Amino acid sequence: MKKSLLLVFAAPVTWACAASFPPPTQRMADAQSAERSAREVGANNEPTAKLSLKLAQEQISLAEKAISDGENKRADGLLIRAKVDAELAIAEAREKGAKADKQEAVNDAVEQKATNAGQGAVK
Amino acid sequence: MSHFRNMGRFIALGSAAGIIGCAPARPPQDLLTARAAYDHASKGQTAALDPADMHVAKEQLDLAEASFTKDGDTQDTRDQAYLAARKTEYAEVIARTMQSNRAKEGVVDAMHADEKKTVALTAAELGRTKTELASQGAELAAQGVALKDEKTRRQDAEKRATQAAADLAKFASVKQEARGMVITLSGSVLFASAKWDLLPSAQLKLNEVADALTKEDPLSKMVVEGHTDSQGAAAYNQTLSQHRAEAVRDYLVSRGIASDRISAQGFGPTRSVADNASAEGRANNRRVEIVVQAKPSQ
Repeated sequence: MKKSLLLVFAAPVTWACAASFPPPTQRMADAQSAERSAREVGANNEPTAKLSLKLAQEQISLAEKAISDGENKRADGLLIRAKVDAELAIAEAREKGAKADKQEAVNDAVEQKATNAGQGAVK
Repeated sequence: MSHFRNMGRFIALGSAAGIIGCAPARPPQDLLTARAAYDHASKGQTAALDPADMHVAKEQLDLAEASFTKDGDTQDTRDQAYLAARKTEYAEVIARTMQSNRAKEGVVDAMHADEKKTVALTAAELGRTKTELASQGAELAAQGVALKDEKTRRQDAEKRATQAAADLAKFASVKQEARGMVITLSGSVLFASAKWDLLPSAQLKLNEVADALTKEDPLSKMVVEGHTDSQGAAAYNQTLSQHRAEAVRDYLVSRGIASDRISAQGFGPTRSVADNASAEGRANNRRVEIVVQAKPSQ
């Protein structure tokens, strides 16, 4: 009698919990948007950024599957992770660009110095 | 006994509960990773370079720690810990990017400073070159003026030579003969009767002759010939003509004609050019001829 009563109470609570977590559509949109940006800034061209991007993509896939399985809360967590991974991929891709720019500047400086020295010699 | 047994069960239960409560003491790998990552970042340049993202990472790590303390090793704890690790990595990447950018700016600034120095040096060089050119220009202008002066002088000299020749023609006749150019000067213009001292007026005329001879033909040899009319003793006339020729020669030498170019010879009345019977003829015979040989001897 007591047991059944407990079940009667417990069941609606569980149901209410599951029902109260809506599909994370906004999180999905945010994660997908960040993933797209990462690809656009060339995250695929740099190994570290490519790894982060891959993690984001995998987690988006897992989230999609979780949503179809009705596990919205799990999907929500995955999508938060996916978005952060995609953002990291963007930062890593930009870091590579900054490094390349720096190297170019250094090369220019060396070249300029050589040119100036050359002119000096001619004088 | 059963009472004791019950007590024992209670204790066991309590212990079990305690164990369950303490079970979270073993943190998930994600949390360990997040802690290590944050520790690394906070000890390096990242904390100074990108404090904002480090703050975000710290908040995320705190959430993970709180979740772990409260609920233990749950999926949520792992998620929060994963996010903390990734946000820490994000801060590190941003910091490294900033370092690269600053290094680049430093290099570019140095390059610009170098460029400025080169430009300044070049400008100075240009300034010097300009000054040099200006002074060269002034020199050239001065040379131009000098050249013009020289030209003017030459024109003046030519004018004077022309004038001299014209003046010469007034008191002397100039003829081209087989023996060369013969300048004939009338004896009465040069000397008083029976004298061989040059008259002062003769000196002026001979100056012009000398000028003409030095300018027009500085190499030819010449002979000054003295001639008289046939009146009086021939020996006297010979001497007179010799002295007169020498007087003219000496004067011309004193006016700049090289002495080895010019000789003097008296002919007396032996080479008359006119009839000694008339006064006019005799006047024509009293003369000094300067014969400029047609070709330079050298």
